[in-house]
Amino acid sequence: MTTVTMSRGTFPFYLLVLVVALAFFEYGGLVAGEGALLLTLVFWTALLQGVIAAAAVADLVGARWITLLRRQILAAYPLLLVSPLLLILLVPRLDLYPWAATPGQWLNAPFFLLRNLALLLAVYGTGRLYARRSLRGDPRTPASAVIYLFAFVTSQTLVAFDWVMSLEYPWISTLFGAYFFVEALYAGLALAGILCFLLPLRQREGLAAAEVRPLRDIGLLLFGFSVLWGGLFFAQYLLLWYGNLPEEVQFIARRLESFPLRALSVFFLTANFLAPFLGLLGRRAKRSDRVVGAVAALVLTGLFAERLFFILPVAPMPVGILLVENILFFAFWLLTVHSREQLLPTATERSID
Amino acid sequence: MARFVCESREEFLERLRGLVDAGADPQTIHVRMPFYVPEAMQILGERPDRLRFFPLVGGIAGFGSGLALTIYSVLSWPIIVGGKPIVSLPPFLLIGYLLTILFGAVGSFAGFLLLARLPSGRGLAADGEFPERFIIIVETGEGE
Amino acid sequence: MRDEATEISASGRLETDVLAGMRRPGLRYLAAVGLCALLALMLFALWGGMALTGMGLSGKNNPVGWAMLITNFVFWVGIAHSGTLISAVLFLFRARFRTSFNRSAEAMTIFALMVAGLFPLIHLGRVWVFYFLLPYPSERLIWPNFRSPLVWDVFAVTTYMIVSIVFFYVGMIPDLAIARRRLPGLPGKIYGLLSLGWQGTLRQWRHYGRLYLFLAAFATPLVASVHSIVSWDFAVSIVPGWHTTIFAPYFVAGAIFSGTAMVLTLTIPMRRLLHLEPYITVDHFEAIAKILLFTSLIITYTYIVEHGLAFYGHNPFERDQYLYRMFGDYRLLFAIMIVCNSLLPLTLFVRRLRRSLPWLLVLGVLVNIGMWLERFVIIVASLAHDYDPYAWGTYNFSWVEFGISVGSFGLFFLLFLLFARLLPVLAVTEIKEHS
Repeated sequence: MTTVTMSRGTFPFYLLVLVVALAFFEYGGLVAGEGALLLTLVFWTALLQGVIAAAAVADLVGARWITLLRRQILAAYPLLLVSPLLLILLVPRLDLYPWAATPGQWLNAPFFLLRNLALLLAVYGTGRLYARRSLRGDPRTPASAVIYLFAFVTSQTLVAFDWVMSLEYPWISTLFGAYFFVEALYAGLALAGILCFLLPLRQREGLAAAEVRPLRDIGLLLFGFSVLWGGLFFAQYLLLWYGNLPEEVQFIARRLESFPLRALSVFFLTANFLAPFLGLLGRRAKRSDRVVGAVAALVLTGLFAERLFFILPVAPMPVGILLVENILFFAFWLLTVHSREQLLPTATERSID
Repeated sequence: MARFVCESREEFLERLRGLVDAGADPQTIHVRMPFYVPEAMQILGERPDRLRFFPLVGGIAGFGSGLALTIYSVLSWPIIVGGKPIVSLPPFLLIGYLLTILFGAVGSFAGFLLLARLPSGRGLAADGEFPERFIIIVETGEGE
Repeated sequence: MRDEATEISASGRLETDVLAGMRRPGLRYLAAVGLCALLALMLFALWGGMALTGMGLSGKNNPVGWAMLITNFVFWVGIAHSGTLISAVLFLFRARFRTSFNRSAEAMTIFALMVAGLFPLIHLGRVWVFYFLLPYPSERLIWPNFRSPLVWDVFAVTTYMIVSIVFFYVGMIPDLAIARRRLPGLPGKIYGLLSLGWQGTLRQWRHYGRLYLFLAAFATPLVASVHSIVSWDFAVSIVPGWHTTIFAPYFVAGAIFSGTAMVLTLTIPMRRLLHLEPYITVDHFEAIAKILLFTSLIITYTYIVEHGLAFYGHNPFERDQYLYRMFGDYRLLFAIMIVCNSLLPLTLFVRRLRRSLPWLLVLGVLVNIGMWLERFVIIVASLAHDYDPYAWGTYNFSWVEFGISVGSFGLFFLLFLLFARLLPVLAVTEIKEHS
């Protein structure tokens, strides 16, 4: 994959190309519909922040799977900068939000942009600090991991409450914030699962079986997160269903009455809970790179489908543009992970015990 | 009947490996361990793990009986409350889930007792004590 | 095999040290048992009095129909949670420090559940018809309502109780066999029977290892669901301050928080009294303190989200409820709760305080006070101040209720004291395995 080499000097250029390309597809006037950029932003912010958060948690608790994947995961930290750039791009789209017409004290365009921009930049700053320290094997890594996690949780909570929940203002679910940051971690782990599958063979050949074994933990963690996700989903659904209050339950009712969304809900329930749960139940499945990689890819599409489920009824979007934007993003992420390694401070890989 | 007592885990594994390499039939080697050393099982030959069927069957049975209990009961008392359908799955899934865990856990315990042959009469006999050190017993004559 | 050489080896010393607690009890111990037994007796006497006289003896009124008794129920179920967390979850995550605490935490789980289980029964009033709660299509034509969260509670708490007992017992089987070998006479015989004749053969160990893994895997989702279900006792109703989706994870985190605090409260003195310093080290306590800090942060996050979103939406009742909690009749309790649950645990960011046992002990007690108050504030404030101002009212506890609450602590500590004397308080076999 190292066809393009991104040096320290050219990386910002490539980053800019990505952002401009996304802007072109969104605003180029190719097709009508306006939700695509919002969805791309919501999904990729969760993914990019989540994968670094997963690494930070692993560093904090001393999980061993991180040692082999550290460089691949943390190489993508500069991509955290894409989220604030895209948020600025989103400005013309803010009238999607029902509160845009009648701004309140919390929900008004300037404050909305300001606080979210500040948080995304804070996530980038703390993420950069953490990633660099972790790659260097700095003893202060745990402290910066904790700081990053604080920024991550706050940012994802606001992603949930501000970017997504307020689309349905005044609909409220207090769990939404926590649900989003757990999902971001889930997405991050799934990304790690994909990386684990893609981990270059040459890198693996030099390692003993005992050194590769911790990678199996990713399967176990994905399994655990599928159960956690199922629990949180159920906790939220049950209360809305049980309370049956018109102002609450309309959120679900509106989404379950018509075809594409109803099918989406079945799909993301399967992809985020049923399939990982049943697929990874067996011991052998958890240990197979292929099964874990496939499940991880399914989980990512499931999480994507769920965001589509949240956003689509409020902001209709053309499927083509949506796919193009996300494939572009994914390609850029892959490129970054595989070509940017060498320009990171060469870390003396911490000994794998 | 040869009997060896080993102080440490390493010594125990070494002795065990030595015995197997020297050609002793793993079937005739009995060990007693103060704590679990999984390597011993690899040396003496892995045997299929049959315990996992118990939680699986127990779990499925629990889930099924949870749903059966709830659905049968509400169909016998079909009273609509709170605008909910008679067979309202979300709360019934909860009962099914709890019984999955209950039956699964109790089932695996029962399976354990069955497969590990507990309670054991021989263990309760005077010489059946749980040792503090590793003990290897090799049958030489006619075995049990 | 009980020769001199054995006594000197490390594992032999470990056995001796741990089982030393099981020899003859001292005077102070007996005094403590006596005091706790007296308190427990008070609980039963007051309960008896209330059952004979009527529920009027408790301070419950209209609108506050759930008060101290239900607070105690939620509190004790919460305490029960850390046991399974430390045993099962940390086992699955291969965190070794769990071996210092798992036995006492599991015992705590069972005792706390026993105490918790009393409160719905006390609250029933006519406790002799408790079996009306059990839902099954019976001849009595009592409608089994599976949509009621109180029925879910019956299933959740019973399942949790049974699975915890199995888990506790299975974890103890090898140690009971050690007690059999070590203790002479009749006690040794009893432990032998309890150990089912455990010999430590390959066949036994092999299945044992698998069983323990399965039980841990079952117990982990269970621990999260039990307190979720307890939280739904409140959240599925549409009372302001109760009906909110974050309740399930919020209660689970709170349960682990208070349970961990109780582990600290019990094990710090136990370590000292039974001379277990070599086996429960300060590092182990630091790990527990980190769990305490982590769960405290979750609780704080929830407080912020809950209060913030009350002001975000259009719902005036929700907003008014949270204003009432902060500035209404129970503001003092609310303030203590914030200090104990959110502010004081922040001190654990300081490494020195995280490793200071006296501070951890104090913090453990304070956190439990804070968590008890949290449940009280949630339950009472919401009922006292819901939709209709005409139906508002306040609640004051009665001395009977207060006595029952104090008595429940007596009962819990009594059970724990008996455990510390009768069963091996550390997982001897597991410590051997890891040393």
